[in-house]
Amino acid sequence: MKITLEKDVMENNDRAAEFNRQLFRQSKTLVINIMSSPGAGKTTILEKTAAALSGQFRIAVIEGDIATERDADRVRATGVRAVQIATEGECHLDPRMIAKVLPDINLEETDILFIENVGNLVCPSEFDLGQDHRIVVLSTPEGNDKIPKYPLMFHVTELALINKIDLLSYTSFDLEKAQEDLRGINPSSRIMPLSARTGEGFDDWLNWVKEAYQACQKR
Amino acid sequence: MGLMEEALQMVSEDAEKHGLETIDKVSLIVGDLSNVLPDALRFAFDAFCKTGEIPRIGERAQLEIIRERGLARCALCGKEYEPSEYLALCPECDMPFGVIQSGETFKIESYEGS
Ligand SMILES: Nc1nc2c(ncn2[C@@H]2O[C@H](COP(=O)(O)OP(=O)(O)O)[C@@H](O)[C@H]2O)c(=O)[nH]1
Ligand SMILES: [Mg+2]
Ligand SMILES: [Zn+2]
Repeated sequence: MKITLEKDVMENNDRAAEFNRQLFRQSKTLVINIMSSPGAGKTTILEKTAAALSGQFRIAVIEGDIATERDADRVRATGVRAVQIATEGECHLDPRMIAKVLPDINLEETDILFIENVGNLVCPSEFDLGQDHRIVVLSTPEGNDKIPKYPLMFHVTELALINKIDLLSYTSFDLEKAQEDLRGINPSSRIMPLSARTGEGFDDWLNWVKEAYQACQKR
Repeated sequence: MGLMEEALQMVSEDAEKHGLETIDKVSLIVGDLSNVLPDALRFAFDAFCKTGEIPRIGERAQLEIIRERGLARCALCGKEYEPSEYLALCPECDMPFGVIQSGETFKIESYEGS
């Protein structure tokens, strides 16, 4: 028997993302979805960011991981609220997973919500979570070729944090080439080099977050 | 993997409503500009057929991918052209931001089951 379905595959996700987006708008919470391959430094960046901004903003973090609570524990140690989503094998977060944990977040009491996506440069880029901003972290040891190899990730994000620049001299990573490759895929994105370890360039990132927060209060 | 799983879950649930036990074939329409990679879909489909983790999708299921070509219209000169990967630049006047006419579809066209 042949059944004609004519159904949009992303229909449910798009609706769930829109639902989340409405809630974020209502509470005027800035929501940033952070993606990268495993080990690029997402959790370290969030630890430092939480420590630097928690005096000024009420921060919460959602940690997506395939199995463990470890990243949420690391973030909690900085004193901010963190909720772990164990995706049980899924290689990405989807908007319904986010909607399910929102009651634990208390958006009304949250100025900035960071979402650390599952470490993977492919699937997370396919799912809109309802966030305000999507950013990607690429660390210098991973190499320049990740930008042309995973174009969708760099296409859907608006900022590429180039982390671990303290290791630049040990790697063949080329910052200018990264900016150039990125321009070819997404002219409205840009790179921002930093080191979560030494703190170099970190103020640029903190300023970016603060500006995004101001912009989100006005909409 | 995520997208294929999404699609197969939708098919599986619909087949359940129709009282079907197995799905023999799934036909998807994938646009050139949909950000969906056909090779990745095929890979994921084969994986789900083998593991059998999605009800009614078994080893013998077939996947058909129907391609929808990308088409953009230049905002300046009105020329219709096939945009290259992520940047829609008009071949005539180099103007970006071509208005997409087609190629963004990613949907389940139909399936066959028994
Ligand atoms: N040298 C260096 N190491 C870093 C930097 N940022 C993170 N790391 C290290 O990289 C490893 C992975 O970091 P983590 O934050 O867990 O990455 P995640 O998987 O993206 O969350 C850890 O050992 C971090 O200490 C950095 O800027 N420089
Ligand atoms: Mg982490
Ligand atoms: Zn033109």
